[in-house]
Amino acid sequence: MTTVEMFINQAPFRYPSPIETELSHLAELFAQTPALAVYPPRWLAIQALEGDESLLNDIRELGGPAVAAALDASLERLHEIYGDDLDVALVDQRYRFVHTIAAQAVRRPVEAPVTLSDRIDRVVTHRWLGIPIFLAVMWVVFKLTTDVAAPFVDWLDGVLSGPVSRWTVALLAMVGADGGWVESLLVDGVIAGVGGVLAFVPVLLSLYFALALLEDSGYMARAAFVMDRLMRTLGLHGKSFLPMIVGFGCSVPAIYATRTLDSRRDRILTGLLVPFMSCSARLPVYVLIAMVFFPTSAGQVIFGLYLTGIVVAVGMGALLRQTLFRRQPQAPFVLELPPYRMPTLRGVWRQMWERTSSFVRKAGTIILATSIVVWLLLAIPIGEGSFAETPVDQSAFAAVANAATPVFAPLGFGRWETSGALVTGLIAKEVVVGTLMQVYGSAAEESSTPGDEPATLADDLTSIVNGFGEAIGAALRALPGIVGINLVHAEEEPVVEGLAAAIRTGFAASSGGHSTLAALAFMVFVLLYTPCVAALAANRHEFGTSWMLVSLLGQFAIAWLAAFVVFQGGVLLGMQG
Amino acid sequence: MLYQILEALEAANGLVSLNELSRQLQIEPGALKGMIAFWVRKGRLKNIAVSGCAGHRRGCTCGAYPEGCVFSTAGPRVIVLNDS
Repeated sequence: MTTVEMFINQAPFRYPSPIETELSHLAELFAQTPALAVYPPRWLAIQALEGDESLLNDIRELGGPAVAAALDASLERLHEIYGDDLDVALVDQRYRFVHTIAAQAVRRPVEAPVTLSDRIDRVVTHRWLGIPIFLAVMWVVFKLTTDVAAPFVDWLDGVLSGPVSRWTVALLAMVGADGGWVESLLVDGVIAGVGGVLAFVPVLLSLYFALALLEDSGYMARAAFVMDRLMRTLGLHGKSFLPMIVGFGCSVPAIYATRTLDSRRDRILTGLLVPFMSCSARLPVYVLIAMVFFPTSAGQVIFGLYLTGIVVAVGMGALLRQTLFRRQPQAPFVLELPPYRMPTLRGVWRQMWERTSSFVRKAGTIILATSIVVWLLLAIPIGEGSFAETPVDQSAFAAVANAATPVFAPLGFGRWETSGALVTGLIAKEVVVGTLMQVYGSAAEESSTPGDEPATLADDLTSIVNGFGEAIGAALRALPGIVGINLVHAEEEPVVEGLAAAIRTGFAASSGGHSTLAALAFMVFVLLYTPCVAALAANRHEFGTSWMLVSLLGQFAIAWLAAFVVFQGGVLLGMQG
Repeated sequence: MLYQILEALEAANGLVSLNELSRQLQIEPGALKGMIAFWVRKGRLKNIAVSGCAGHRRGCTCGAYPEGCVFSTAGPRVIVLNDS
């Protein structure tokens, strides 16, 4: 508890003697100048000595040549003593005075009071506990984004591929446009491509909810503080982790955020590392593949991928520091750790809404355009068939994607479907999902048997509402799983059918039966290769064409090597999959 | 007193939190913020809060939202010595 003395002795405030002399002289002169009477003379003299440009102009204009000359003479005499730091001497003297008064007037406890923020920080930023806590926080975030959001993804996917597709076909039938290329464009192109990506909105909502909680509570600043220690141990600049944290959201602003670093070499080095941090656009790809191949441990797999991204970024950074970017002395910096606070519902919702709506806008522009181009290439026959009615493996898309297939063959996913998805993924990572939905969707349709699909609009609406209710129930049952309590019974494991079965079959065919290993290698490749063309453009804008090419080729080489090690290493070790 | 901040920062090895600096210099955090703000105005320190797209509304996510980058608020305030 701090108490203030009721009586403070008169404490005269004076600037150092040379300054006081000039202040007295100038204040007297200003007091005798009627044109400057509007200003308190001593205050005006202080402002003039501190270099207030606006008031200096007033004094020179209103005071006349004699006052201006006296002012210049005073400034010259003081500059001989204080140089350019005259204003510093003035301000410093005021702080000293206030500090002295405060020291005399305020009685403080022997030990500074420990606030709740201090107590939390002692644990959260602890030398040894800090990083495990950071990892635990990440674990919870990814369990939340996968396990809890998964039932809503299934529901939304079911709505888009079921009722919405049926309604679209019905509407086209009403205008006599069903059964042709228009139906194929809307159902197989737009709904499969864009809808397939939009189905992952619940995942992104969960991720942005968790990120907003961490940011608003003040934990994100602590994460940077904790990671700084690790980065410095490895010879990296601690400030590099700030852009990297932004990189969890999107690589583009993260590349621009490298401007916070002092030297160009540090900026380039960090700009090369940032794309390894897993941006939110990659999350739908992980969720799709992890749910197909690792349905009971998707959260762990995705957590492992995010961790791999950090490890690769930090490891590459340490390596480059020893080679291309030899270590330079690090500039010290002060980080403001804001006090912890309870996140507000309004603030969290605002961030979730802004970020998710940004994702939806992207789905309506870049992803829509790419889906249409992919559909067009899938519709153009190279072998048998006619436009929009050709088997997908006889399409122009398959022919073009096949050219890239040999590159990916040693990684276990050398098929035109996955090669094509990875190439289109250069536009934006969500497009990988859209393309997989489009190319495997046709195979799933061909292999599926007619089920008990609702016949009427009312049936559709009932199934949508019921499905949403079931999703809420499943999400609530998954919540305790975040802390290790499993309420989901083994028999509830999803049956692999339709699209998932088509994806499994595709990966099995390209990997000689090691489909799980190939899927893992595929996700590692998606994690590490170039995030998108926008990130390349940001790289070029900030560091030039040469470094952009280094980034593009370097990331491809690292992604290829890492995926190769995962797949071939797993096969060599005799891992099942 | 003002010079103590610059000296402490020059002597620091990497990151120091505002609270640590406040304890080290025995200056109230509120006063310290004011003193840092003075040095920022004077150009001896730089305030480099992570600014996301740094005003450029390019890029996949940044360009998609009319208000600019939606990930720009993530960073804490960072103060560095200005050597330029």
